[in-house]
Amino acid sequence: MSFRACSLQDLTPGEGLRIDSVQPPIAVFLTEEGTVHALDDTCTHQDASLAAGWVEDCRVECPLHESTFSLETGEVDQPPAKRRVRVHSVEIDGDDVLVELSQDAPNLPPGVTA
Amino acid sequence: MTTHGADVLDDSLLQHEAVGSDGPVLAPDGHLLIVGAGLAGYHVARGVRSHGHTGPITIFGDENRPAYDRPALSKAYLTGAVTEEDLHLDDPEDPVEATWISGVGVVGLSGSAVPAEEDGDVEELPAPLGIYTADGQFHAGDAVVITTGASALTLPAAPDSSQPHVEPYVLRDMGHALALRDATLSGAEIVVVGGGFLALEAAATCIQRGAASVTVAAGEQYPGAKRLGHAVGQAIRSALEKRGVQIAPPSRARCLRTATDGHEVLLTDDTVLKGDIVICAIGAKPRTEWLANSELTFTPDTRAVRCDDSGATVIPGVYAAGDCAQWASHSSGLRPVGHWQEAVEEAAVVAAALTGADEVALQEPYFWSDQFDLRIQGAGRIHLANQVEVLDGTPEEHNLLVRYLRDGQEVGILGINRLRDVTKWRKQWRIRGGKSRMTAV
Repeated sequence: MSFRACSLQDLTPGEGLRIDSVQPPIAVFLTEEGTVHALDDTCTHQDASLAAGWVEDCRVECPLHESTFSLETGEVDQPPAKRRVRVHSVEIDGDDVLVELSQDAPNLPPGVTA
Repeated sequence: MTTHGADVLDDSLLQHEAVGSDGPVLAPDGHLLIVGAGLAGYHVARGVRSHGHTGPITIFGDENRPAYDRPALSKAYLTGAVTEEDLHLDDPEDPVEATWISGVGVVGLSGSAVPAEEDGDVEELPAPLGIYTADGQFHAGDAVVITTGASALTLPAAPDSSQPHVEPYVLRDMGHALALRDATLSGAEIVVVGGGFLALEAAATCIQRGAASVTVAAGEQYPGAKRLGHAVGQAIRSALEKRGVQIAPPSRARCLRTATDGHEVLLTDDTVLKGDIVICAIGAKPRTEWLANSELTFTPDTRAVRCDDSGATVIPGVYAAGDCAQWASHSSGLRPVGHWQEAVEEAAVVAAALTGADEVALQEPYFWSDQFDLRIQGAGRIHLANQVEVLDGTPEEHNLLVRYLRDGQEVGILGINRLRDVTKWRKQWRIRGGKSRMTAV
């Protein structure tokens, strides 16, 4: 069951948008190349919003530390984060960004609950 | 590309001949000894493995626990939000391949600094490279990396104490944090000595733990103002006060007195702060006492191991990184010492130097701190600034963005709850490969 997360107009190339109408919140990214991705917004290492992170080469870097996550698979490249973030399916319908949430359990950082 | 300010100090201050320029310092199958199982030590091991090192790596740590990350010791670990296991650096599903020797003190380093040429005399053989542990054993290695960190400073006892002196709490390692975590903070009157982020984080955490009162002897009216500018100091003070933290008169803490009914912190203006619990967070000194008989060279004031900007010491094959070391660019004032990020980056530089991998540049300095709902992030050469400019936000709204200039040129930025802005700044100033403008070599 997908939901409308935002409009394409809400997105800025190279940046993420935090959507906190769902729990845990998700982040929708528009890359410079024009692709749209949806991930869990919270870094798996510590409570930080990935939407505020740096987007490059289809990865987002946590705004606090060094770890970067793949926008396509959610895989993490290096410490301090050890676990991947969930990736959600995205569909574009006209201007609408439709997101279908992953059914996997989220990998939230210690001390953070959904 | 941004225009970068000229380095404030002459680049030729410290010339250091590259050791092992004919190839890697450490052969791929050589034995690497790492002394110190903290952030820097762990990252050196991980780094050399990622560069294809196949030889043995032995990591010596004096604590009887796996390597862990320290920032949470003053925050989430103290409130109980995270466990010790959560702080382990190594990933159990992808552990770094190394032998960990824990709970054994390392007491000495063997190795010879490059000898001065003597007129054709046959020199005595150089001392073999390796380390001695407290159990009397010698461990030979092909390279040694020193990452023993720093130990917490505390205040001296007042000369007129009538009671036996009780040491204050400090916050440096897991043992300290465990002691404070188990202390009865709820309902206690607490005095925190220190004006740095560690002290302020500890103060915030004590409030969260239900302390009856928390007083911070920060040594200044607006904590952080001297280093980070008045607006930042105002923002920090307003956030702390709003949550009930009291700021003591802006006078330096002088000593501690143990009284029959608690503890007293004496300030230089003769103010006496009384508390059930005193936490000292007034800085740290490099843990290099064990190297006293080695041929290494040290900074005269702090006794940090002197290195060039690849982490190399005067002994070939011996490197140092993290809080126990002072690299050339620290000595020349280009970089501040003691940040988490600094230890991680230095480890990467050392790992590349050891294995002969492509040189890694040090990035702009970066630090962060969480205090209540303030997430403070600073980047750049803030310590060199002579002008601070508020770009956006106000101290009271917890949304401050300030930039730092030196002689009119931007050198740094600080944001309070401005993750996106600080990230952008850091990326604009990122150095990709090649020489860092931050090094003094």
